[in-house]
Amino acid sequence: MILIDKYAYCNKFQGIHPMEKFIFSMGTMVLTISLNSLLVSCFVVIMVGALLIFRVGIPWKFYSKIMLMPISFLLLSLVTVATVITKQPIDLLYFFPLGAWKIGITKQGLITAELLFFKAMAAVSCLYFLSLTTPIIEIMTVLRKLKVPELFLELMSLIYRFIFVLMETADRIYISQSSRLGYSSVQKGYKSLGHLIGNIFIRAFKRSQDLYNALEARGYNGQLRVMEKKYVFSLQNILLIVLLDVFLVVIANLR
Amino acid sequence: MSEYILETQNLNYQYPDGTPALKGISVKIEKGKKVALLGLNGAGKTTLFLHFNGILKASQGKVLFKGAEIKHNHKFLLDLRKKVGIVFQDPDSQLFAATVWQDISFGPLNLNLPEEVVEKRVLQALDSTGITYLKDKPTHFLSYGQKKSVSIADVLAMEPEVIIFDEPTAWLDPKHTAEIMQTFDRINEQGTTIILSTHDIDLAYAWADHIIVMGDGNILGEGLPQEILSDEDFLIKSGLVKPIILEIYEKIKSIGLIEKGKIPKNRDELLATLGEMYGKRKSLDK
Repeated sequence: MILIDKYAYCNKFQGIHPMEKFIFSMGTMVLTISLNSLLVSCFVVIMVGALLIFRVGIPWKFYSKIMLMPISFLLLSLVTVATVITKQPIDLLYFFPLGAWKIGITKQGLITAELLFFKAMAAVSCLYFLSLTTPIIEIMTVLRKLKVPELFLELMSLIYRFIFVLMETADRIYISQSSRLGYSSVQKGYKSLGHLIGNIFIRAFKRSQDLYNALEARGYNGQLRVMEKKYVFSLQNILLIVLLDVFLVVIANLR
Repeated sequence: MSEYILETQNLNYQYPDGTPALKGISVKIEKGKKVALLGLNGAGKTTLFLHFNGILKASQGKVLFKGAEIKHNHKFLLDLRKKVGIVFQDPDSQLFAATVWQDISFGPLNLNLPEEVVEKRVLQALDSTGITYLKDKPTHFLSYGQKKSVSIADVLAMEPEVIIFDEPTAWLDPKHTAEIMQTFDRINEQGTTIILSTHDIDLAYAWADHIIVMGDGNILGEGLPQEILSDEDFLIKSGLVKPIILEIYEKIKSIGLIEKGKIPKNRDELLATLGEMYGKRKSLDK
């Protein structure tokens, strides 16, 4: 997770307007899902993968690792999609009998599962594109433009900032605990973990008080207003996205 | 007559549970000065600071800014916080935004300045703390020293008349400490009053124009660094140790190696005094 955050800040698509990246990722995802075509899905998986590895500069080893992450979930759900339990004498590619019932795979089920698999992978790669090229703060810029309520965005920004602060705190407590053999046995480990979690809660509370003081000192008046970086829209990129999406529609209608 | 920018009169403060934290503090901060606040942990330094900026409200007594008593209403406080800035000890509890730029822009935006001005101020604050290269960096990628610099820039961008630093050099390496102290001097030269708390007595001695020593919620003493920090009894009473420069100077003076002269404030001045002494001896020997 943290590596994704790191790549989001240091990649070759940094200077590109976050809105363009957002439109590309969301547009392509919605289109792929609604076109419901195997060809389009496969194309999107390959294209986005190539884009991320060759243009954005994400190491292929890391990318294949994160692409493998959803596969285990996906395979489990595909099994339920592809298999049928039936009493009817229908054509099954493969089955084993269970009394009067048969559990097996139909050709139709297999096709549906295949389509679903690639569609899901295409959608996942579109989301990875967004999270690997666009830092959370830029996504928030986009959401602000899309008129998402300010309260929601402020919470999002504070949570994002303090994930790292609390993680660091947890890390320090963990190190200090294990240097005193706090995790030398399973039982001790559970006990130490309990202390760690309790401590984090208390510290989070104290932090929020300190933060409030510090914000007050800088004239906080109930609204966390900050200045955002300015980006320039590139007509070329927009055109490219439109062309690509038209292309997707065309190949979906080839057959 | 000197002009006082901040003043407290018989300031008392109790924590919500009734424990007294400040016990009748009366202190005056002169405008344009470099003031160091010394005192052991728990002496009440941070609590006093929080009163200067109106975050805590005195249980008794008053706090005055430029001779006017601080009122705890929205308008007055907003105006006060525009003029008195605090840099907190732990930058992680001060930095809240996701990027350096955003964090520094928060203060000036609260002053309702137009965007161009905010932008200019942020750039200037980045420049005076020497962290322009961190402009677009996400806050959580920064090192401790860098976060410290950002927390200083945060307050600089608001261009206050007084800046209070709560233990600015705690946990900093010597290089960053020296850089930060230089930044303080630069800010001070432009007319900003600076108050800082520290445990580093050598640093306070070398840097400050005026020293205030606190202990257990009281003011134990105040005065010029070379006067107050050479008073042995006072130092013992307040749990402090004499600055090493002053100690060496007094030693060589007491054995008659030098006569009365300017008391050295820092290492270079002490070395110069020693050099002078050596030169004199040599010419005497001849």
